[in-house]
Amino acid sequence: MMGRLLSRIPALLRAALVVVGIYLAATAIFSGLLGQPIPASLMTMYMFFVIVGVFMAFTFTEEGARAMAAPIRALVENPALRPVRNIVFLLVPLAAGAFTYTKMLPSLEAPVELRTIHPAPPSTFKAYGKRYDLLTLENPFRKYEKEDPERFRALVAEGGKIYIRNCQFCHGDKLNGRGPFAPALNPVPLNFQDVGTIAQLQESYLFWRIATGGPGLPEEAAPWISSMPVWQNFLKEDEIWKVILFLYDYTGHRPRAWEK
Amino acid sequence: MRQFFSVVAFTLLTIGFFAGFSNFGIPQIEPAPPPKEEKIALGAMTMEDFIALGERIFKGKGTCTLCHNPVGGRAPLLDQIGKVAAKRLADPRYKGEARDVEGYLHESLVKPSAYVVKGFGKKGTGDTVSPMPDVSGGSIGLSEAEIAAVIAYLQSASGVEVTVEIPAGAEPAAKAEKETAGEGRPLYASAEEAMRELGCGACHKVAGEQGEVGPDLTHIGAKRDRAYLRRAILDPNADIAEGFEPDQMPPDYGEQLYAKELEMIVDYLAGLK
Amino acid sequence: MNGPRRSRTARGGLRAGLLLLSALMALLLALPALSGALGLANPALAGEASSAASEVVGNASAATATPAPGAPKTTLADYPRIRGVNSRVLVWLVAQLHLWFAAFVLAVPIFVFIIEAIGMKTRDKRYDEMAYEFIKVSITAYSLTAILGGLLLFSLLVFYPQLTAYLTRVFKESMFYYALLFFIESAALYLYYYGWHWLQGPFAKWVHLTIGLVLNAAGTTLMFLANAWVTFMMSPAGVDSAGAYLGDPWAAIHNYLWNPINLHRFIANIAYGGSIVGAYAAFRFLTATRAEDKAHYDWMGYTANFIAIAALLPLPFAGYYLAAEIYAYSQQMGITLMGGIFAWLFIIQAVLIGTLFLSANYYLWCGMGRSEGAARYNRFIKYIVIVLVGAFLVWFTPHTLVLTNEELKALGGPYHTYLGPLGIMPAKNTAVNIMILFTALSFLIYRRANRVPTVSWAARGNAIQVALYGAGILNIFFLGIYHGYFTNTVYKVASSIPQVMTTLIVIAASLVIDAFIYRRAREIAPLRWGRIPDRAQYALFLLAIAFTWLMGLMGYIRSGIRQHWHVVGIMRDNSADAITPTLGFAANVVSAGTILFMALVIFVFWLSELGARKVQPAGYWQE
Repeated sequence: MMGRLLSRIPALLRAALVVVGIYLAATAIFSGLLGQPIPASLMTMYMFFVIVGVFMAFTFTEEGARAMAAPIRALVENPALRPVRNIVFLLVPLAAGAFTYTKMLPSLEAPVELRTIHPAPPSTFKAYGKRYDLLTLENPFRKYEKEDPERFRALVAEGGKIYIRNCQFCHGDKLNGRGPFAPALNPVPLNFQDVGTIAQLQESYLFWRIATGGPGLPEEAAPWISSMPVWQNFLKEDEIWKVILFLYDYTGHRPRAWEK
Repeated sequence: MRQFFSVVAFTLLTIGFFAGFSNFGIPQIEPAPPPKEEKIALGAMTMEDFIALGERIFKGKGTCTLCHNPVGGRAPLLDQIGKVAAKRLADPRYKGEARDVEGYLHESLVKPSAYVVKGFGKKGTGDTVSPMPDVSGGSIGLSEAEIAAVIAYLQSASGVEVTVEIPAGAEPAAKAEKETAGEGRPLYASAEEAMRELGCGACHKVAGEQGEVGPDLTHIGAKRDRAYLRRAILDPNADIAEGFEPDQMPPDYGEQLYAKELEMIVDYLAGLK
Repeated sequence: MNGPRRSRTARGGLRAGLLLLSALMALLLALPALSGALGLANPALAGEASSAASEVVGNASAATATPAPGAPKTTLADYPRIRGVNSRVLVWLVAQLHLWFAAFVLAVPIFVFIIEAIGMKTRDKRYDEMAYEFIKVSITAYSLTAILGGLLLFSLLVFYPQLTAYLTRVFKESMFYYALLFFIESAALYLYYYGWHWLQGPFAKWVHLTIGLVLNAAGTTLMFLANAWVTFMMSPAGVDSAGAYLGDPWAAIHNYLWNPINLHRFIANIAYGGSIVGAYAAFRFLTATRAEDKAHYDWMGYTANFIAIAALLPLPFAGYYLAAEIYAYSQQMGITLMGGIFAWLFIIQAVLIGTLFLSANYYLWCGMGRSEGAARYNRFIKYIVIVLVGAFLVWFTPHTLVLTNEELKALGGPYHTYLGPLGIMPAKNTAVNIMILFTALSFLIYRRANRVPTVSWAARGNAIQVALYGAGILNIFFLGIYHGYFTNTVYKVASSIPQVMTTLIVIAASLVIDAFIYRRAREIAPLRWGRIPDRAQYALFLLAIAFTWLMGLMGYIRSGIRQHWHVVGIMRDNSADAITPTLGFAANVVSAGTILFMALVIFVFWLSELGARKVQPAGYWQE
């Protein structure tokens, strides 16, 4: 029943309906149901390839292609459709012009700001008056995980205390980046629970980011608006390593490693 | 031929789409310029070592911290000097010839009177003459390389870009510095040499030097006995001469000197009548 | 087969001329390498290695006369400039053009060899003729490859003399043998091509095939040698920390990234060669007027597309292996590659690879129109489209989003709760495996288009295939989701390997089962070669263009992750162009390169046709 009804609609219109339907469904699901709208920049690309896909699905057979082209062909060639043609030929450039105009119109919206959240680390960096080689730097306490689990538990617990005293105000007591100060910060504090953050990084990278903080970001990560403090001024080297143990332990992530 | 042109048009359109997407579809991030290369050609010294050397000189041989410290207020603090120097250059009271921060710092080290910070001039000169000695001469006697190291340290410590280049021959100076700082130093031959090396003249008027931070020692032997002089060197805050402030003189000369040298100096000072 | 006969003497003259030309090319290529090798190697032979080194370094910085055996320390003055020439863009373009042509001329003999072998096995002459036509297309490109290689060497010598001298010093042996190897390569290629019709017959065909093997061995070795120089610049080995050569050529060649690049380039070359030949066939199809020509070029285009797809399927895995090895070699380089500014490059890459997969599939679906029997399967295509496009959308979803401030507030952070997890590797691995599986499915359906199985267990066989696909897809999803999101990163990387294995096993097993089911299958409608819409030919063009452009883009990143180093950590780039350009700029250079390459390819194809054209000028020659 439904199928027969559908097949009576011209192919071009059907294709357009599919595209619009997908767009509306995606908007409804993400903006309405999930409360996390798809950003416009991404949606544009999504829809571009949806259109490409729909075009392919409708035109891979000869009949399909002809059916798709038929209304367009008719519009251009059929003398009876002349008034419609004239309107379309007027509307298309007008629509293009309107689109360009709205795109170029200056707006009050602040320009899109792009920060590289995981900038490439330098090969070495300086902290605590020493130079660290990021390629070989390792957490000095990581080895106790296997050698002396009891001591490791104690170290993690110490790290937890240090975290609660220093870090949770921004990064949250659940390590989800939603601490009491977080709503005031932009960029927002990192959510360590996210699989895309510390789970993707080695411990040495974390040490670098914690020890040198926002001001220690390389130029590539400009603008330097991160409010991360330079923790080497407040914490001891050992304390940072313990906090790192705690971050991985609490979230259940493992530091990135390639060996073994 | 029509086919050929439509294929060409298709090709150009496709390439145009890819290029357009790369230019406008994704954010254009300007990659950071390559980091400034650290000169490692001269000796094995990196800029970092050089700055560390400057710091050692600043706190040691150069005797700078005797006055440039937060306690005594004898001389301006230098923790912001890199940023302040640029303003000084534009100050109408500035009499020197430097054009940039590096030049200014160099000048202030060898011709301190080129610019005197308000309130820090020699008494009675209306801030036109600096009480600071020329660090390249006299008892401090820094070499050009050492001065460059100090400038590098000052720039680095005050958070501006280090523009100094490591001069050739910086390495030997660094070695010399390390040697004097280490154990097993040979004895000073005379009291004059000891006092020159220790930089007494930077603060005191003695042995041809014109220091003004501490009491005039040119006739000290006439006023004080040997026990007083010895105590004044070993424990500078035990007695403070009238008109001078405590905590100015380093309290560790007792550790730097051999007993024989201490006696030499005491003998020398006691003889100044 | 349908080309007019050329006279024996004309052909002989052409052959002699080409041989002479090739010898010249080889010499041209060899000369700079030779002069470099000789200039440095001679004193070394006399036991004065240090003087040779100081001679080189002395040029670099006249101020330090100390004999430093390490890599030269350059200053701005060490990079000669020619007014009006941007040396980096020039070297970049020339290197890229050389690479494109080299990839093409190295790849074509590989599958020509395979097609010829198939022809020998099946005794189907059409294979032999098609193989000959493939090699004919690539032969004119061969000299262009050599010309561009020479141009690249000269530009390197002119604009980057210190780097060239240093690399020559480290790779003197391999560069010397590289140059010599060209004689073997050229000789084998010309024998293979010109001897094609001469070496026919039971024994002669084996000789001919052996020449093809020698040709491929020489060509692949050439590529591996050149790869070593390139990977040395990324992951130097065989030198000490100052860059002084330790004397072991093999250590310098066998550096950390050598094999990953070798594998990746080898597979990519085949896919690339297939796509270029496909574009050639597509163009000949469009311009052909006779039905038999259309049929021939349709078949050629189909075969080329098949080769391209077959090599395209394992390519993402080779790329993943390469990226993982780069990460393992240096975390810094790895993060530069994946996390820094280049992160966006992978979004462009995703768009391009998506284009490749979609156009290759579209070509297959259009090709189903060759037989009436395929209409049975048409209704499945839309589901394949849905899966492919869906997987593709997952693949190019970035982890970091471009957000307006309003969107940032709405999302509550730079990451999207639901789309964010699609931005990391496990999701993308899963998506790409699904895409590959369904591309293979397209091919399976295409194979069945005009046939009906006659074996009794066909239904059961089909069920097994469906079950295989279902289990495979489930396993890929399980591995991707469980290992990607619920275990640590070590497994995240490790999970990609069982995923790949699942994909490959499912494809291989399905193909084997399919081959057995359709043994002695009944043809329900003839496969009419030539009955394919022009749209499908444009899909082939798209494949070739996207491939070319993609190779250029990935060449940029492979080189770009070295950042301001000529040789990472050993020889710094102190030229004015040491900065990393923006992606837009790189894309423009790549686009310019692609246009240049396409123009040259058209010229080459046109040349390959020129030999067949004859004009009888009336009254010009004395009668």
